[in-house]
Amino acid sequence: MKLQILGTGCPKCRALETNTKAAVSELGLEAEIEKVTDIESIMAMGVMMTPALAIDGIVRSVGRVLTKDQVISYLGGGE
Amino acid sequence: MAGCNCGAEKTVIITACSGAAKTGQLADQVARKLRAESMGSMSCLAALGAELSGYVESARSADRNIVLDGCPVACGAQIYARLGLRHEEYLLTNYGVEKGKTEITDELVAGIAERVKTDIEMKRG
Repeated sequence: MKLQILGTGCPKCRALETNTKAAVSELGLEAEIEKVTDIESIMAMGVMMTPALAIDGIVRSVGRVLTKDQVISYLGGGE
Repeated sequence: MAGCNCGAEKTVIITACSGAAKTGQLADQVARKLRAESMGSMSCLAALGAELSGYVESARSADRNIVLDGCPVACGAQIYARLGLRHEEYLLTNYGVEKGKTEITDELVAGIAERVKTDIEMKRG
């Protein structure tokens, strides 16, 4: 599984990264977590507001700092 | 243009049908003019139609989605509706334009853009 945190490095982006790592840890998943900070790469994924979270190349959340539990929900296939 | 959502700024996304008819051309040019006047960020309706996740989720998170449809076929609004996305449609044939008849000039684009801009601002409430 590959998780991408899209954001240029603001506090909200860092918070999403922290919560995502916590969710992965809690679920005991083996996941690659990549930070995408290049604005051109972010825009190439169609993301217009950050932070955003992509799971296996699919953008699941835009412009929100998901909580750990919300990330867990996404990783479990929920909303 | 992607932007950090750290601030409290409202996010407005503008899309145009950009259809084959002259009204589609008008919708596209009006959308670009609204973007140039900082009314919002322009996104790609085709990408939404293709259900590309980044575009869909961006629209879902936007405070306002402004959809410019050139004619009553309303492709833009239908795409948003099918995806379950909140949106405001501005139908350009409601602005005195006739599909297949009205010539698209710079003056027309500027005039329609100004009227649409006024309507968008009025809806902002």
